Amino acid sequence: MEKEANPVYKNQAYGQFRELFYSYGADGKFEKNVGFHGESTRVTLQQAWDLFNDRIEEARQKVKAGLASPILYYMEKTLVTPLDLSMHTGIMVWRVKRHLKPKVFKRLNEKTLKRYAEVFNTTLEQLKNVD
Amino acid sequence: MENKKIMIDYKHRQAGHCESGATSNLFNFHGIEMSEPMAFGIGNGLYFSYIPFLKLQYAPMLSFRNLPNTVFHRSMKYLGVDATVIKNFKEPNESMAALDRNLEKGIPTGMQVGVFNLTFFPPEYRMHYNMHNIVAFGKEDNDYWVSDTVMELPQRISHEDLQRVRWAKGAFAPKGKMYWINNVKKELDIKSAVEKGIKKTVYEMIKIPFPLIGVKGIHWLAKDLKKWPKKHGNETASFYLGQIIRMSEDFGTGGAGFRYIYGAFLKEAGEKFNNPELLEASVMMGNAANRWREFTYLGARNCKNRSKPEEDYGKLSEMLHEIADMEKAVYVKLDKIKI
Repeated sequence: MEKEANPVYKNQAYGQFRELFYSYGADGKFEKNVGFHGESTRVTLQQAWDLFNDRIEEARQKVKAGLASPILYYMEKTLVTPLDLSMHTGIMVWRVKRHLKPKVFKRLNEKTLKRYAEVFNTTLEQLKNVD
Repeated sequence: MENKKIMIDYKHRQAGHCESGATSNLFNFHGIEMSEPMAFGIGNGLYFSYIPFLKLQYAPMLSFRNLPNTVFHRSMKYLGVDATVIKNFKEPNESMAALDRNLEKGIPTGMQVGVFNLTFFPPEYRMHYNMHNIVAFGKEDNDYWVSDTVMELPQRISHEDLQRVRWAKGAFAPKGKMYWINNVKKELDIKSAVEKGIKKTVYEMIKIPFPLIGVKGIHWLAKDLKKWPKKHGNETASFYLGQIIRMSEDFGTGGAGFRYIYGAFLKEAGEKFNNPELLEASVMMGNAANRWREFTYLGARNCKNRSKPEEDYGKLSEMLHEIADMEKAVYVKLDKIKI
């Protein structure tokens, strides 16, 4: 736990919240303190977000190059796997995996697209175009 | 009807663990002074499980706390309090209408939510984690006032956002689960509740005949941890190690996976019932928790320099074995104590 916010995150909005921490001192007292989270949390959280951001960026490049459908980008952006996505949308896994192909994606009907848009919290327009 | 303002006189207190914080705040609202560690201990918040064949955010799943709603449910059961839990609703609209009805009656209501779309939550924590708990205590226009014990102050959230997080999907989906206390007797038998709570926790940590839960789970994790760098390479091994550390640090537990809170509970109970053995157990728990903290501190150094580990994984694994033994000693001691 630390008293000051430490600007270690690459994203400036991170690490700005004060939390409550318990600790145990040598005198046998359990203490409660309010402060910013410590270094090990910061390191591991940054590590996780690095991995997620790499995957999102990779997916974006693929979509732009026409190798994958926008669903791949939004799937990575919401930090889920095809299996999770299948649970969220109620579409079977093999169908979700097929929808990752641009050719198949173009033929999808509005009903299916709406299901995806609802899970990704986007409009249909946004779903079709990745910026 | 839309513009009616409801504000229940509910006192928000920040806490380390979301559900025991919510439970202790709800008790407080009904006039029973109960600290967070007490609610956590009676409600069996402490747990350990390691599930290598399920992946959470690309790394093996593990948990330092019990299943969602255990703390509330068990503390109500052991204390004999009249409370209601609605496990799931069929329709999102129905769940929001039920919440509105409760607020109109003046009942602060706890809810299970997912944090990924929770608008006021710290952005660095917004991953798929469906076991968070918040308490709604007011409504203004289209917005709700909620008390999230991770945050310092009560927060405001819109109707649509609240519905979205209450219907978050995936593992442990909340399905609009909500709970509240109806009424509390004047005299609560805290002593027997503490006894039942400790007994159940001891059972869950050392007596379940399954190798991935409790102290045995920690040993299993230690064995696996040693193999990760050879099996998956340094990058992935450090990411998996990062997952252990993230889980043991999640939501302000002080970096020991809720062991500090449990130690504080043992100490409080020991002082309340004048039991020196419980106090001794609390010291042992505190030491084990400090060891957990050292483990996360050393482990985090491997996550900083990902391809070249600074600490030997064998050493970290031995440390975990040692922690497991330290914890086991506490539970064996607790098993024999009569309060």
